[in-house]
Amino acid sequence: MIDGPTLEIIRKYLLSATEEMRRTLIRTAFNPVIYEVFDFGISVYNKELQLMADAPGLATFLGANDYAIKKLYDYIGEENFDDGDIIIMNYPYWNSAHAADVTLAAPVFMPGADRPFAYTCIRAHWLDLGAKDPGYVLDSTDMHQEGLIMPGLKVVKAGKADREIIDLIRFNSRMPRNVLGDLEAQIAATRTGQARLIAIREKFGGEVFDKAVRQIMDYGEEVTRRNLAKLPEGTWEAGDFIDDDGVGSGPLAVHVKVTHENGRFIADFSESADATRGPVNVPVGLTQTLGKVALKCLTSPHEASNAGSFRPLEVITRPGSIFHAEYPSATYTQWSAIGSSELIFKALAKAIPERLIASSGGDILGFMMVGKHHRTKRMFALSNNEGVGWGASAKHDGLNATNHITSTVVRNTPVEVLEANSSMFIESMGLTQDSGGAGKHRGGLGQYRRIRFEGDGEFLSITKKSESRPWGLAGGHDTNPSGIYIFPDTDRAKRVGTYRVTVAKDDIIETRSGGGGGYGDPATREPQKVLDDVLDGYVSEQAARDTFKVVVNNGVLDLAATEKLRADIA
Amino acid sequence: MSNFRIAVDIGGTFVDAVAFNTQTDDIRLAKALTTPEEPSRGVLNAVESLGVDMADVSIIVHGTTLGLNAIIERRGAKTGLITNKGFRDIFEIGRGNLPDYEMYNLSYQPPAPLIPRRFIGEVAGRLNTYGEELIPLDEKGLIETARGLIEAGELKSLAVSFLYSFLDPAHEQKAKALLREHFPDVVISAASDIVREHREYERSCTAVLEAYIRPIFERYLDQLQTELAERGFAGTFLTMRSSGGAMTAEVAKSSPLHSVLSGPAGGIVGASHLAQTLKRDFVLTLDTGGTSVDACVIKNGAPDVIHETMLDIYPALIPVYDIRCIGAGGGSIAWTDTGLLKVGPKSAGSVPGPIAYNRGGTEPTTTDAAAVLGFLHPSSFEGTSITLDAEGAAKGIEDRLGNTLKLSAIEGASGIFRVIAAQTVGALRQITVERGLDPKDFTIVGFGGAGPLVATLVAHEMEISEVIIPQFPSVFSAWGMMSSDIMTDVSRTFIAELTDDSLKQAFDLFDALGAEAKDLLTAQGMPEEKQQLHRRLDMRYVGQEHTLSVALTDTMSTKDLSDAFHKLHLERYGHQIDESLEIVNLRVGGVGLLDKPRMAQLDKRVTPGTVADPVSERDAYCFVKNAMTRFGIYRRQKLSSGHVIKGPAIIDEGTCSTVVYSGQTVSVDDYGCLVIRTAQS
Repeated sequence: MIDGPTLEIIRKYLLSATEEMRRTLIRTAFNPVIYEVFDFGISVYNKELQLMADAPGLATFLGANDYAIKKLYDYIGEENFDDGDIIIMNYPYWNSAHAADVTLAAPVFMPGADRPFAYTCIRAHWLDLGAKDPGYVLDSTDMHQEGLIMPGLKVVKAGKADREIIDLIRFNSRMPRNVLGDLEAQIAATRTGQARLIAIREKFGGEVFDKAVRQIMDYGEEVTRRNLAKLPEGTWEAGDFIDDDGVGSGPLAVHVKVTHENGRFIADFSESADATRGPVNVPVGLTQTLGKVALKCLTSPHEASNAGSFRPLEVITRPGSIFHAEYPSATYTQWSAIGSSELIFKALAKAIPERLIASSGGDILGFMMVGKHHRTKRMFALSNNEGVGWGASAKHDGLNATNHITSTVVRNTPVEVLEANSSMFIESMGLTQDSGGAGKHRGGLGQYRRIRFEGDGEFLSITKKSESRPWGLAGGHDTNPSGIYIFPDTDRAKRVGTYRVTVAKDDIIETRSGGGGGYGDPATREPQKVLDDVLDGYVSEQAARDTFKVVVNNGVLDLAATEKLRADIA
Repeated sequence: MSNFRIAVDIGGTFVDAVAFNTQTDDIRLAKALTTPEEPSRGVLNAVESLGVDMADVSIIVHGTTLGLNAIIERRGAKTGLITNKGFRDIFEIGRGNLPDYEMYNLSYQPPAPLIPRRFIGEVAGRLNTYGEELIPLDEKGLIETARGLIEAGELKSLAVSFLYSFLDPAHEQKAKALLREHFPDVVISAASDIVREHREYERSCTAVLEAYIRPIFERYLDQLQTELAERGFAGTFLTMRSSGGAMTAEVAKSSPLHSVLSGPAGGIVGASHLAQTLKRDFVLTLDTGGTSVDACVIKNGAPDVIHETMLDIYPALIPVYDIRCIGAGGGSIAWTDTGLLKVGPKSAGSVPGPIAYNRGGTEPTTTDAAAVLGFLHPSSFEGTSITLDAEGAAKGIEDRLGNTLKLSAIEGASGIFRVIAAQTVGALRQITVERGLDPKDFTIVGFGGAGPLVATLVAHEMEISEVIIPQFPSVFSAWGMMSSDIMTDVSRTFIAELTDDSLKQAFDLFDALGAEAKDLLTAQGMPEEKQQLHRRLDMRYVGQEHTLSVALTDTMSTKDLSDAFHKLHLERYGHQIDESLEIVNLRVGGVGLLDKPRMAQLDKRVTPGTVADPVSERDAYCFVKNAMTRFGIYRRQKLSSGHVIKGPAIIDEGTCSTVVYSGQTVSVDDYGCLVIRTAQS
C-alpha cells in the first residue's frame, strides 16, 4: 500500500502533467476550434491502457481516448512501439469520433527500457482533411466522403517526423497550413507529456509509481461508488428524436434503458434506431462517452477522472445501430450524440426529478460561414456555437444562453472576431424573451442573432433537435427548440435545423437557440420573482399573466389581482 | 526634512506598513489589524505604529485590494451600462462558458451579476469592423435611455461600451461627454478610456468593473488623504498598480481598476529589485500567505505582464503581473478523502486559526504540521503574543488524519508538507514550462508569512539549487512597493500583416501612443528627464490567435522584428513556423523614474565563511533524510553578513521561520538575505 500523502502527490503530478500538455496545445494550436472551442481531449494511460489522468477539454471527449488507445494498441501491436514514436489516427470507428478529429498517441519509455510504461493521447479537431465539402460535412453517405482516413500511422518514427505522411496530409487538405500547424502543436504537447511522465516515474521509482496509479484508480472508483449509492436502484427508460440524418431520413428514434442495481450503472442504447445512410451514426466509443459524462455529472462533477471513476459503468450498444456505427457508415455530423446527451438524465428523471435539471436547449446550435472574404479575398471558415437556455431544477432557475452541457467550457466567438474574419455582419443578438420554459423555477432563455451577409459564400447551420422540444420537469413547461430562419420575410423564407445554403450579399439569416425546460408548476413561482423577470425583460407581462398567473402592469406587481388569478385556477 | 518613505499594504488579516529612512537606510515595520468595515482606520493605525513624524514623509505608496473585495462582495456602487442598440445582452451572455472547474456541474449558479439586465440600456449608433461609422450616435436617445436607467435604479455610476470603440472611440467619448454634462452626479466610465483592444464582452466588463468600484474607491482615497494630511503628511500619495509601478491618487481615483491586484504586485516588484541587485536571471517568487501561494516568473529582472485577468467571474483587460495563485498556504486545512491526504483550498484563516494557536481551531493546518515537525516552536514567536501548542497540533493531526490514514502525527504532518509542496511545484512547473524554461535554472525567492517555511522543500522537490529569503520576508510586499516607479500603460489593437509598410504605420501609431503616455506621466508630476518609454508589439503567426510580445527598439527593421518573434516562439514553444507574421497590439509602457531606496546592506559583518553559532538545538523533520533529526536553531536578528550555517537548521525571526535541510547551506549576503544552496551532487 502506498501512503495517503504519496498517493495525493502522484495524483497531483499526473494532473499537472496533463495540464502542461493542455497549455502547450492551446498556445501552439493554429486553429480556433482548438484554442477557443477547446475541441480536444488529452489523457495519459498506464501500460495496461487504463486512464491515469486527463485535462479539461470537450466533455464529449471524456474517455473517448480510452477506446481509441486500445484500438491503436491492438492495431500496431505492443512489440512494434519504439521509443520516440508518435502515432496518428482518425479512423472513426476506432477513434470514437468523426474523421476531422485526429488523435496522436505515443508510447512513453523510461530511458533505455524496451517496453513503454505509459501512453499519451491527444485528440483535436482539424479544420480540413479533404472531406467532400469544406468546413463541415452534413450529408455524407459513407466514410470515404469524409476525408483522408489514417488507421494508425507512425507520423513520427523513433523521434523523426515522417515527411511522406506529412506530405500526404498536406496534399489532402484544403487548409494545409492550419492542419500542419495543429499537427505540430499536438506533437509539442505529446512531448511535454512524455517528459513529465518519465520525470514523475523516475522521482518515485517504478514500483511505487505503478502501485500508486492503481490505488489512485481505486480512489476514483470509490468516489463514484459512494455517490452512486445515493441514487435509487431500478430501471428507467427514455426516448427522444433526432431531427434527421441529413439525407432525408428522420426523425430518428433514440432510446436508453438505464439500470442501477448492485453498484452497477448500466446504460443500454440498443433499442435506438438502426444505423442510417446519413452522417449521424455514432461510433461506439463516443456512445460510451455519453455514459461516462452522465455518470460523472451525477456522481463526481468536481473530481478528476481516471479509469476507476468509470468502473461501475456499463454501456450497451447494438452493432449496426445508430449508436454503434460500423464501416462504412457515415459519422461526420456527431450532433446525434450531442442531442442524446440528456437521454440518461431524462430516464432518471422518472425517479429523481428533484436531483436533475430539465432539458437544456436540446443540443448545440452551431453555425459557420465558409467563403472568400468580401474585402481581403482570403478564404475563411469561421464558426460559432450559440448558447442555449439550461434546464431549471428543484433549487434554481436555468442559466440563460450558456453553452450546451456537452461543451460547457467552450467560449462563443465575439462579434468583433466574427465580423473581422468573415463576411458576416451581426445586426443584433441577445436573449429571446419568454424562451425559457415556465415553472416554479424558470428554464434559461435561449438567444437570437440576426446575420446580414456582406459577401458571397456558404452558410451552414447545425442542430439536430429543431423538431423535439426541450422538456420540463415536475410540472415545469417545455419550450421552443432551436431553429434557423433562412432569408426571413422573403419568398425563400424557411425554418430549418441542419442546413447548408449559398448566401449572397445582403441576404439575412436568423438563428434562434432553444431554451431550458422549467421545473415545477409556474403558477407557484413567487410573484416577486416573476416581477423581477418582467423588469429584466426575461418574461413579458403577457406571459407573466398567461403562464405564471402573475399580474404585472407597466412594471408594477398587482398582488391582489395575482392572488385572485391564482385562486381562480386552483 | 523629508527623510521617510512609507509603504502600506492591506491584506486579509493584517495591514503591513514599512518605513524607510532615506538618510540612514533604516527600515521600520508595523502591523495592524485589517478593518474591513472602515479600511482607512487599519491603514492609519499601521502607519501611526511606525512612529514616524508624518511631516517627515516624502512618499506614501499604498497597496490595497479594496476594489477587488468590493467586486467579490458586491459592495460597489449601483451601476448601469449603455451599449449599442441590438447588443444589450453582450454583458449577460458573455462568452457563454462555465469556469473550467465547473465543467461537469449542471447545477452551477454564478454569483449575482454586477448589473442586472434592467439597468442595461441600448443606444443607436454602429461602426463596422474597419472602424467606419454605419449609423451615427443617437444623442437624444442616449440621454433618454440614461435618464430612464439612472432614475429607475438610483444609479451612481454608468459604464459606456460600444462595438469597435477600440478602433474609433468617438461615439463612446461623445456619449461620455454628453452624460457628464446631463448627469454631473453620476460617475461615467467609457471602455475606450481604459482599454483599446478588440473583443466586446471583455471590454464591456472592464468598463463595468471600473464604474462599479470608482465611487467607493474615490471616497476611500479622499478620506485617507484627508486623514493623513491632518496628521501632517504633505508628501506624494501613490497607489500601487497591479502590474507594478504606482500612480498618483488622482489617477487612481479615475482608474481604480488598475489597483485591484496591487497587494501581490508589491512582492513582485520587490523580488524584481532583488533579482536585479543580486544579478539573478531566473527567479521564481513564492509568496505564501495564510490561504494561498502566489507564484511568478521573473526573467532577467523583469516579470511578465499579461493584459487580461479574471476578477470574480468577469474578465478585465488590464495589465497585471502574470501571477499564478493556488489555494495552499499556512492556514490551509488538511483532510482525508478515501485514503488520500488532501490540503486546502479551505483555510482556517485567522479565526479560528490553526489548532496550535489555541484560538479554537480544530482542523489541522499547514501551521500545525510545522509545529509537529519542529519547524515552529514556542520560542519562534519570541516577542509576539502568539503561543504555540505543538501537542495539541499533534493530537489534532492524529485524530483527524492519522487514524483514517494509519499515519503517526509525524507522518501526517510531513505528509501535509509534501502535499503542499507538490501543489506548489505543479503551479511553478506550469509557469516555467509554458515559457519553455527549465525550472532547474531558477532561484526561488521565498517570502510572505509561510514562504520561508516551504521554499526549501519546494526547491528540494524541483531540484532547484538556490533559495533566497530576503530581509523581513513577512512584509516583503510592502517593502517592494517602495521600489516602485510611476507607471502608465497605453495600448491599441492594430491588426496587420507585418510588412515594411505596416511597421511604418506601427511606428507612427507608437509615436502617438508615446505622446499619450508622456502626457500621463507629466500629469503625474514626472519631469521629462525622468520619463522612459518601452514599446512592445503583440505578434503572432498569421492564422494563430495567441500572441507573443516582442520588445521594439527604434532601429528595428521588419526582419529584426520577425527574427525576434521566431526566436521567442522557438523558446516558448519549441518550434517555429515558416509563416508570415501579424501585428495585433501595440503597447507603450511609460515609466516615471522615482528615487528608490537602496537595498540596505547589513551593518554587522563577519569574515565571509564564519560559521554562525546556534542559539539552541531541537529535533525537527528533515525532508532530505526523511526523518526527525537534530536542527541548529538560529535567531535571524543575530546573524551578520558573511555568516554561514550548515543545514539542518532553523532560522527564527519572530514573524516567520526559515527551514534549512541537510545538504543545504545558508550564507548571509551583504544585504542580509539568506542565500540557501544545495550542495551539487
